[in-house]
Amino acid sequence: MPDRKQHATAIAVSLALLTTGEHAVAQNASELETRFEAGATSMTSRTSRIPLNAFALTPGIRYADRRLSVSARASAWLSGEQVELGNSSVALEAHTPLLYGVRAELFANASRLYFDPSAQNDQLDAEGRLHLMRQRGGVWLGSGVARPLRVTAVSNVNVSSGGIWTKLGSTTLRGSVTSFFFTKLASPDTIEGPFACTATLDASAPITPPDDGVGALQSTSTGCRHQSRLIDLEGSVGWEHRLVEITVRGGQRFGNSFDVTPESRQWASGQAAFWISNQIAAVAGGGREPAQPTRGLPARSFGSLGLMLAYWPIPRGIVPVESPASLVQAFELRPAGTAVQRITARIGGVESVEIMGDFSDWAVLPLIRRGRDQWELLVPMTAGIHHINLRIDGGRWVAPPGIPTMKDGFSGEVGVLVIKP
Amino acid sequence: MTTHFARVAVAALLAVVLAPSARGQMRDPLGQLEPSVRYSVELLLDSARLAGVPTRPLESKALEGLSKRADGRKIVLEVRRVLRDLREARSAVGARSEDELTAAAAALRVGITRAELARLASSRQDKQLTVPLVVLVDLISRGVPRDTASQTISQLWQHGAADDDFLGLWSGVQRDIVSGTDPGAALMNRAREIPSRAPVASPRPE
Repeated sequence: MPDRKQHATAIAVSLALLTTGEHAVAQNASELETRFEAGATSMTSRTSRIPLNAFALTPGIRYADRRLSVSARASAWLSGEQVELGNSSVALEAHTPLLYGVRAELFANASRLYFDPSAQNDQLDAEGRLHLMRQRGGVWLGSGVARPLRVTAVSNVNVSSGGIWTKLGSTTLRGSVTSFFFTKLASPDTIEGPFACTATLDASAPITPPDDGVGALQSTSTGCRHQSRLIDLEGSVGWEHRLVEITVRGGQRFGNSFDVTPESRQWASGQAAFWISNQIAAVAGGGREPAQPTRGLPARSFGSLGLMLAYWPIPRGIVPVESPASLVQAFELRPAGTAVQRITARIGGVESVEIMGDFSDWAVLPLIRRGRDQWELLVPMTAGIHHINLRIDGGRWVAPPGIPTMKDGFSGEVGVLVIKP
Repeated sequence: MTTHFARVAVAALLAVVLAPSARGQMRDPLGQLEPSVRYSVELLLDSARLAGVPTRPLESKALEGLSKRADGRKIVLEVRRVLRDLREARSAVGARSEDELTAAAAALRVGITRAELARLASSRQDKQLTVPLVVLVDLISRGVPRDTASQTISQLWQHGAADDDFLGLWSGVQRDIVSGTDPGAALMNRAREIPSRAPVASPRPE
């Protein structure tokens, strides 16, 4: 009888080198990104089978255009003299154009999760969603199916989900409800409590609902079938401010005691990244993750502390590079003294951000990078109306998002800033 | 020691000789224009001074074209167009601030008529026209029908809408347009959310 109260505890200290070998946005807004992570990780697990100082290599590639995104990522563990395949995934995302704020989305994944040599799982899953989107939030409803490959005791898993998200300043709040419905196979001696069954009945025996009515149990010649339903309620808060990124998440699982072990009822975890310089961030996190019964993976506690080195070289001349304003995730102006404005922009994965406008006599002013994707500059600017342009990686001059625009007479647009006295 | 003093003296001399030219460049950003282009721009600036319209928007347009590596001929054409629009705007809205005249000139360029501008300017003479006009120009360039945009902004202005109302309206409309709403319908819907702030006229005694 497997111990349903097993714990897996992982503590990782890693030094990761993240390089985006090629990252270019083509004229048709498609994007190609390759990445490579390397790190030394030490881990203790239930079985302590992974030696300390295992070394992992994680190459990844992602292609995205306006409607489609395909990504693949795999980690290989060098454990002793053996190379083992660790956490890996191949993912496809596709969505329709936004029509009246609604779009349809399709997700398909093949993934592998690796806790330790005795706890690993492969799974195929697909989900469709309808997403109602607004500028500062949205809601979605989805339904899909997952097929675990290594857990013979579990059938296809029907997954239904719904969620809501909103942005409040630099804070993003998310909430979701996910329902998992699947049939579990178990030998009679692994079933206890109200679900006990005997092996004497055959497959033609009628389905007999259990006493509490939660699941139906059918005994077979080799074991019992149990219909399980889990419902996960999860929430997360993400906060970003200049050099700091913090994410906290927590959840509650609902289901009967046969399907949900006590240690998987509630969970919470947090992760923080602090950018020490443009290319170095300290990352720390920890918490508890619930079991994944459909994948045969136990609940675990984890802690991590790492240092991330980031480098984003952008080769020129390989793909025609353009700088669409859509790369700019946020653009803000705030007073920073008498007749001085602090311009901040959030633009990830680029090498340079520049502005110019009537306030600088149209001289080009480079913004200063703060953290991974924050750019900032103090600019003398008097009250009134000012025209401004923004340029990313030496591309086209565009109007920053979030402010009114007008034609500039030179086949482009300028943004119009209204600075109050 | 003598060599050291000689170097210091040469450096000081160079600083004195070069300083005026550096200061000159700071004060004369138009100096980067080609001589023929600069000559044409200077003529247009003189015309602006004679006509009594602000010259800064003209200089700014020339520098903008220079920074955007526009052709010299194109720069002159654009500066000339700005001068023409500013003159026309001033005749429509009267003597207003530089920002207001610039915004009015931009409105003329997207098809707002002088009569419409004049009506706007005459209805609330004590208030700055700039923000309503900036919003109007942007809405038209985003696909809101010209007449719908003009009438809606004009009504809101006459009903006492403030700058923040117009900026909030713009923000809501552009969000709706991005979400797929028809630009005209988006403006009409959002405009209804803005309360009337015009003082209620007391009924005249009969």
